[in-house]
Amino acid sequence: MTRVLLVEDNAQNRYLITFLLNASKFSVLSAEDGAEGLALAASGDFDLVLLDIQLPGMDGYEVARALRQNARLDGIPIVAVTSYAMTGDRERVLAAGCEGYIEKPIDPETFVAQVRAFLPEKGGA
Amino acid sequence: MAGIVQDITDRKRAEEAVRRLADDLRRQAAELERRVAERTAELSEARDRAEGADRLKSAFLATMSHELRTPLNSIIGFTGVLLQGLAGPLNDEQRKQLGMVRASGQHLLELINDVLDISKIEAGQLELAQARFDPAAAARRAADTVAAQAAEKGLEIECETEHGLPELVGDRRRVEQVLINLLANAVKFTDQGRVGLDVRATPEGVAFVVSDTGIGIPAEAHDQLFQPFRQLDSGLARAHEGTGLGLAICKRLVDRMGGTIGFESAPGVGSTFRVDLPLTPPSLTETP
Repeated sequence: MTRVLLVEDNAQNRYLITFLLNASKFSVLSAEDGAEGLALAASGDFDLVLLDIQLPGMDGYEVARALRQNARLDGIPIVAVTSYAMTGDRERVLAAGCEGYIEKPIDPETFVAQVRAFLPEKGGA
Repeated sequence: MAGIVQDITDRKRAEEAVRRLADDLRRQAAELERRVAERTAELSEARDRAEGADRLKSAFLATMSHELRTPLNSIIGFTGVLLQGLAGPLNDEQRKQLGMVRASGQHLLELINDVLDISKIEAGQLELAQARFDPAAAARRAADTVAAQAAEKGLEIECETEHGLPELVGDRRRVEQVLINLLANAVKFTDQGRVGLDVRATPEGVAFVVSDTGIGIPAEAHDQLFQPFRQLDSGLARAHEGTGLGLAICKRLVDRMGGTIGFESAPGVGSTFRVDLPLTPPSLTETP
């Protein structure tokens, strides 16, 4: 089972993304902010991190940089979930250590496929 | 003797008059200068206020659009979950009504994106990417995006790209945005016939030509076609849903890319929009 760490401050978005991923048999552990996300990342094993960029306190860029310091996450894709409005921030997202981004508002019909595209091939979720 | 005295008196009077006039002039000049200085100060204050208001407006719109988008995430997202049957089976009526919720949510999102785009462009805050892209592929992607809308009206988008077009350096997304806008307009205003997109190389870069056999653009609308919100007061709004910002955004994006956009149209026959962009291939020294 693919294990996803989700860092997202908006409760409804958290619910939506968790619901979609669960429906495709991913397991999801979610955090409301960067600090909680870093704590979860330090104690668990994950296959992928989904990271909101506009977070209260520590923003997504800082969280991504901090996650990249964590050896447990070596080779684990960090994917930013960020708004279309923030063009120009794409480069910042990549520079902070993310593999890429998924645009908000997420498209519920393609979201899981977009997430899967970031996972290394290993024969299904 | 009396004549001489008279002369001197006249001369003194004349001199006195000249002096008074000169004094008057000096006073008036000083007054004028004072007024100019005062007006200048007022104007620069007004300019500062306007610039401040402009910055405030941009910041406000950026914040608002984020705030508006967050609940839209939920509306579009959960509607999609329900429509896919992920939360349980739906009956036909429920599916139909949720479809309406989703369509409205997506329309609202387009409106927000358009308003944000235009305000970013007007505030000079739009940043253009400089990356290599394939103009033929960009044209095909734009055509694919509008294909479903076209199919609903029984139209097909005929996309013709010149063979061997070189890769260019520019903002692929923004080029596609312009083409999608023009194609969506062509489809919106065409009920039968064809919608075409031609891409060809030009000495300066590349030209995209979007043509349709639609209702055309009445002559009186030509002057204001690229002005924001034109559709809303043109009477077309009722028949043709849209933000009225599409062409204004196209014009400004093309301007920012250093290009030109123009059109020819005959009512009842169709319209042709041509976008010329001075984009060059990546230099040989540039690393891919």
